[in-house]
Amino acid sequence: MQITFWGVRGSYPVPGAATVRYGGQTSCVEVRSDSGDCIIVDAGTGMRALGNKLAGEAAGRPGQYHVLLSHVHWDHIQGLPFFSPAYIPGTRISVYALLTAADELNQVIGGITRHEFFPMPLEAVPASFDFQKVEPGLDFVIGAFHVTPIALNHPFGSVGYRIDADGSSWAYVADTAPFDQVLHKQHFLPGPEPLSDDDKTALEAMRSALVQRLRGVDTVVYDTHFLPEEYARFPHYGHSTPDQALEICAEAGVRRLVLYHHAPAHTDDQMDQIAARYLAKGATRNIEVLTSFEGMSVPIGEIDDSHDERETTNPGTGVRGIKQVPQ
Amino acid sequence: MKLRFWGVRGSFAMSGRDYLRYGGNTTSVELLSDGGDRLLIDLGTGATEFAKQLMGSEFGKGSGKLPILLSHTHLDHIQGLPFFTPFFIKGNEIRIMGADPISGVSLEATLQNQLAPHYSPLNGLENLAAGVSIESFTPGAKLSLPGFEVATAAVPHGSMWTTAFRISADGKVVTFLSDVEYPSPDEPLPQALALAQDADLVIHDAMHADRDYDLRRGWGHSPARAGVIVAERARAKRLALFHHSPDATDEMIDEVVARTASQTAVPVFAAAEGAYLDV
Repeated sequence: MQITFWGVRGSYPVPGAATVRYGGQTSCVEVRSDSGDCIIVDAGTGMRALGNKLAGEAAGRPGQYHVLLSHVHWDHIQGLPFFSPAYIPGTRISVYALLTAADELNQVIGGITRHEFFPMPLEAVPASFDFQKVEPGLDFVIGAFHVTPIALNHPFGSVGYRIDADGSSWAYVADTAPFDQVLHKQHFLPGPEPLSDDDKTALEAMRSALVQRLRGVDTVVYDTHFLPEEYARFPHYGHSTPDQALEICAEAGVRRLVLYHHAPAHTDDQMDQIAARYLAKGATRNIEVLTSFEGMSVPIGEIDDSHDERETTNPGTGVRGIKQVPQ
Repeated sequence: MKLRFWGVRGSFAMSGRDYLRYGGNTTSVELLSDGGDRLLIDLGTGATEFAKQLMGSEFGKGSGKLPILLSHTHLDHIQGLPFFTPFFIKGNEIRIMGADPISGVSLEATLQNQLAPHYSPLNGLENLAAGVSIESFTPGAKLSLPGFEVATAAVPHGSMWTTAFRISADGKVVTFLSDVEYPSPDEPLPQALALAQDADLVIHDAMHADRDYDLRRGWGHSPARAGVIVAERARAKRLALFHHSPDATDEMIDEVVARTASQTAVPVFAAAEGAYLDV
């Protein structure tokens, strides 16, 4: 199994000279099994370039695509109308998401192509769409993949995924806040609210379920939008820090963490610093910390203990099997 | 009057080294009068960069006032709204003005829907800390804003209409004609020509290179030559090609500009993110 990052940014796409190396597009990860089966996790703006690649491979033939959504904030769905295989007649696209009902999903995903927002409504797009409701606790299978949804802590709800295939596994943990200060529910939070005892119990349960699901996972991709000093100002925004991700990974015995969902304000130079800082911090806990960038591919299940030849100052380089470095 | 392009890209924000000279942000244009009044057209991703500049001024202290005109509500023209930081500072007063996008759906309902709980943690316009007013107008209306006089007209954009603007300040005129496709690019509609008459600068949709247009007829955008015809017939002094295709790299835009400039005596350039231009 291999994962490839097509969009690593959070909130909104950020073009320009400051994001050339890590990339400016929002959340989208391609997952491939050894047999070639494919899942797409999140449909942020990175999905446009992925779609162009997949359409090229399909050479006009219809395909079946599976898209797992963590949640339906714009930065996780905005690429869907620009996914070019959707315009090949006969193509089928299954969208999986955490919502209360499948018809609601149809309405919400259909809503992004309302006449006011996009020139072509979903029902006029040549591909046929179906919507699958995801519930934490109910595993499901897509081709070679066994998928375990995991409840996360984010405004209006979010779900992570543990994905097992080819004798190994990785997990996508975005978007999520940590599990101590704020419990996100289905209302607007102008700032942190005091936690009730029930809230604390709910947070503890969510955290321990996450840790349990991550046990034995090869690689964890985690929402590390904020640096600690930024998080302190915005604890109610629904995102985590690399330190919080390291805590969870250490507790679950995970050996490799990928930083993901970078804040739009973080420039390439800042990302270099973040990457170096957490590579060092992770090493003290025996966790290899990679910092995702557009175009990075990570083989899942090939980690070994020979760190000898690795470059540890420049993120993403020298790690066995990583296909491309930010330049 | 000065003008700054904060976002010039159509449809989709493009990051990466192929888009650095013209810029990858979606539509957002700032106008600045000699007296210091500001006006913004559209809230594409370029508006998030403009917002950073504003936050260093009175907008960071909650005493800024800004009118924003929306050409229409396709996502590439409003996707910067939830991240336009002056909205989060109490005391700022921001007016968003535009036409209702379609019959029976108001501008306010559309922007509320953009911020609906499923899509945005903001959960609605009412949670923006600044004073925000959403004001629908009927295209054809004339708007009098501090420092600017604005004439408006509806122009066809595929299956919907967008609003075009003629903005006058300090004795100068800028005409904004983005997201428009005339029945024939060689026959611009009279309302477009009227808005562009004798303008100092016409900003025109040039999503398609002329040679690509036939494949994309009906998508709601113009080939580069449509702007040339508008500028020539309206006797405009300068033409900015705008709303560049997400597939157009810097080199491709260079080529479109060179070809277009060779066809006309009107000075032509491609809109690019960056410095303030004198109108």
